[in-house]
Amino acid sequence: MTRPAVRIAYCADCGYDGQAIDLARALLSEFGHDLSSVSIIPWDDGTFDVSVDGRLVHSMAQDGGFPDLGTVKDAIRALVASAGPRGD
Amino acid sequence: MSNVVERQSLMTAERFASGLTYEAYKAQMKQNRARFEKFERENVLRDADVEAFRALHRPLKTVVLTEDWCSDAVATLPLLAALAERSERFDVRIFYRDQNLDLMDTHLNRGTFRSIPTFIFYDDEWAEVGAWLEKPVTIADLRARLRLEIYASDPAFGSPDAPSSDLPDAVRERLWAAITRMRDDTTPESNREVLRELKGLVLERHR
Repeated sequence: MTRPAVRIAYCADCGYDGQAIDLARALLSEFGHDLSSVSIIPWDDGTFDVSVDGRLVHSMAQDGGFPDLGTVKDAIRALVASAGPRGD
Repeated sequence: MSNVVERQSLMTAERFASGLTYEAYKAQMKQNRARFEKFERENVLRDADVEAFRALHRPLKTVVLTEDWCSDAVATLPLLAALAERSERFDVRIFYRDQNLDLMDTHLNRGTFRSIPTFIFYDDEWAEVGAWLEKPVTIADLRARLRLEIYASDPAFGSPDAPSSDLPDAVRERLWAAITRMRDDTTPESNREVLRELKGLVLERHR
């Protein structure tokens, strides 16, 4: 199993870069090498989407607002656990 | 429907004077300078527009709330600046939205959103003549429709409701290029609509 990859797409026109960067920092601080990558993607149209290995765990359009950090972490923990121990 | 609101004035001569001039704002822009200057070169202002606003007896004090990352502001602020310069009927000062939330929060879009750019017009007594917010509603509708057409034009773009983050990088870049082109292509029409709304707002109320 490969380590999970996180993607954060945010509306750059809405000034959400701070929230995207804060989320990325929090996830890297918590999971570090247990993640294969954290991508931050500037987008538009009021977007703030977070996906883990292609699975959408938060969508501002669908869920409203910014993601709950705990929810995102839980989704990652589930994938990290299924990926097994890392080999470093 | 017009994107226009009226509110009680929070502005004073001292506060107005603390705002940035257009040139000072441009000088400290950190993002979007090239697109901003492109729209300066391509603005749609006609002599007839300038003459129409000269019907104002005195210049309106004009507060702009914005941030330099805002693409709507990048497209519209150069138009306002050109109109101010050529008509000599708008004295423009620019304020960062996030440092002026008291002003912003009395001009919320649909009572909820801190939309920018916001233009607030005042008379000589600092009474608010009116405010213009973000973008013309007709243009928002047009761009939403064109956006759907872009998605429909290439199956690789997937659903407009699906997260763009999970598109392959090359596909997402192609989609982004198409969206950016659409927005730039509709900016002249948007700015003509901005002028039409501004005429309705300030000429009909403050002639």
